[in-house]
Amino acid sequence: MRFNEKELISLSRQPSEMAAELTMRGPKKGDVFKKRLVKLVVNFLFYFRTDEEEPIGALLLEQCLYYFLFVVFLDEAERKYQFECDTEEQCGEWIDLIIKASYEFMRRNLIFYRTEIHKLTGKDPLEQYGISDETRFQVSNATLAEICIPLPI
Amino acid sequence: MKVHRKILTHFLSCPSPIDKEGYLYKKKERTGVFRRRWFVLKGNLLFYQDRPADRHIQGAIVLEGCRVRADDSESDFSLVFQGLRTYRFSAADRHAQKEWLTCLATASHRYMSVLLRDLGLQYRGETQGSCSTSTEVRLRRSCSTEVRHRGSSPSLPPPPPPLLLWGALRPRKSPKPWARRNAHVTPIRGPAPFSSEWPRVDFDPLTEFSKLHEVYGAEVRRELKRNMKTQVEHFLTSDLPPELSTFSQVWHYPNLKGYCL
Repeated sequence: MRFNEKELISLSRQPSEMAAELTMRGPKKGDVFKKRLVKLVVNFLFYFRTDEEEPIGALLLEQCLYYFLFVVFLDEAERKYQFECDTEEQCGEWIDLIIKASYEFMRRNLIFYRTEIHKLTGKDPLEQYGISDETRFQVSNATLAEICIPLPI
Repeated sequence: MKVHRKILTHFLSCPSPIDKEGYLYKKKERTGVFRRRWFVLKGNLLFYQDRPADRHIQGAIVLEGCRVRADDSESDFSLVFQGLRTYRFSAADRHAQKEWLTCLATASHRYMSVLLRDLGLQYRGETQGSCSTSTEVRLRRSCSTEVRHRGSSPSLPPPPPPLLLWGALRPRKSPKPWARRNAHVTPIRGPAPFSSEWPRVDFDPLTEFSKLHEVYGAEVRRELKRNMKTQVEHFLTSDLPPELSTFSQVWHYPNLKGYCL
């Protein structure tokens, strides 16, 4: 499967929500914890070897399960990518930001705000942007997304 | 760089909403030949494959840092990554071209983030009145990319009630900046309440939001046709200065304020 690698690498250089040195471990048996510079940009988690310009990898932060201290990325095999922070507080901060970075989370918040503002003011706040009819902002889509929550392990 | 493809393809196949799908012709960079592909837009990712039912995904385009541009003909358009690649497409007709342009232009995470911030401010303004404390003023000036010490901001408003935290187990001392509200928490294992069950203030409880939206949508469509048509067309055909490569920059560009693009 092709993807626009150069553009993704360019994205990894953009300002990020959070960047820190964490230890991470891949999903395969025999993978060990390694120190990596982990950077959250939009809904991707990039990880670098310290002092390297190009990231080693990129993980899409949608449909994940989050546990204290580590994140489970969902694919067919439900691979676990583990991240460890220095403090409990730091971990909580990461999980908080990762959840909020998810596109689905943002979409549902937007739909909520749209509905509430409409109730309070009688106006659709998306009208001024000319995007009221866009599929992604429809209430029915939020309901659908909420039903499809992966069950926690 | 390794991109975990299985995570991307899993995201495509999971039941979360699809924002747009359909056939488009995509120009092959090397040969210049247009090939018909089935495209699926989900979030800020544009996937493509030969046919809708195909299991094999041919590619994915991450839609960050690009701008959409209507090309010379009535049905052609491009995704321009400044200084990097340009993807060229051809839709079935002008109508399809416009639909794709609008939904691709509003697809990026950055766009959603700015829109969310704007609506959030509007919502807080409506619920808290016009008095601004210094904390509110600081919040309004803050950029979404700043890392904040959320645990020490007790004046942040509570988050929207119908939130599901994707099965997250909270740490014992989580840095929650807001008070817990469970009035409308949707059970993780149960179905979400339909929009018609959300609490209302001014409306007949039997009226569903979809019906309201229908009435609303008709009004917006009329208004769009009257005022926006020429403006959008003008915007779509004009060239943006190269520095306006992200939505947040476009948004602050004085002449374009008020455009969704």
